[in-house]
Amino acid sequence: MILTDREIQISLSRRQIVIDPPPQPQAYSSTSVDLTLDAVLTLFEKGADYVKKVIDPTHPDYDIDRALEEVTRTETIDAKTGYDLPAKHLVLGWTAEYVHLPIDARLAARVEGKSSLARLGLGVHITAPTIHAGFDGQIRLEILNHGPFPITIKPGMRICQLIFEQTLGTPERGYQGMFAGQTSATK
Amino acid sequence: MMRLTVEEVGRGLHPSEAVVAVKTAEGHERLVVSRRSIVNSSIEVGWPLGHRDDLCLVELPRETQTGAWRVWVHKDQLTEVEERMHA
Repeated sequence: MILTDREIQISLSRRQIVIDPPPQPQAYSSTSVDLTLDAVLTLFEKGADYVKKVIDPTHPDYDIDRALEEVTRTETIDAKTGYDLPAKHLVLGWTAEYVHLPIDARLAARVEGKSSLARLGLGVHITAPTIHAGFDGQIRLEILNHGPFPITIKPGMRICQLIFEQTLGTPERGYQGMFAGQTSATK
Repeated sequence: MMRLTVEEVGRGLHPSEAVVAVKTAEGHERLVVSRRSIVNSSIEVGWPLGHRDDLCLVELPRETQTGAWRVWVHKDQLTEVEERMHA
């Protein structure tokens, strides 16, 4: 079941959901809440045309964080000028808001894009939209410009929306000791 | 709730993130976590999901670099806390 705006606000007041800073009233829709873009972006660098880079995630020494450090640079984008994301390019970004879903809150969330940006070709995640119970932090976004033109992105802009869903039961790790391992059918 | 001892081994791509290493029964796993979630070199993992000898199965708050969510850790690496600790 998807939480309505009213249920999201009740969950926030009970700290079953933490969003810091808290959303402004205009950030809500009937069944979602908008989050905004942080100023820090991670930009991919291809290097010169004669430099050929291939990432092999199956290599025994593969380390995703080290790999990203080697092929990216971090930039803090200006609030006024923003960053012109070229067509067909990927950058990593973050929500400005810190989000926490307690382990025992019986809630999960999905990050979804904004239709107003999707029409331009802008996506905000690549196949991994679920925010699991227990998540704690600013949400990392895989921002991809699928469109034919550069798109300017700026800190503070509405970049994505969170849709909260009530889970059927509490995850195992939300139960203490003797209850661990039981399924909802046995309770 | 239990907290799992971790070692900070690097910075994340964002200033709010850190890369931590978790000692597991099979070796080490690394994952990116929020700096706010690290308190006294530990992160919240909820209650153990299983037990085997001196090992406990726990679910990490985020996916590790190898794609794992659940890992077996030695029980000495877990500390029980009453409520969630805020950094």
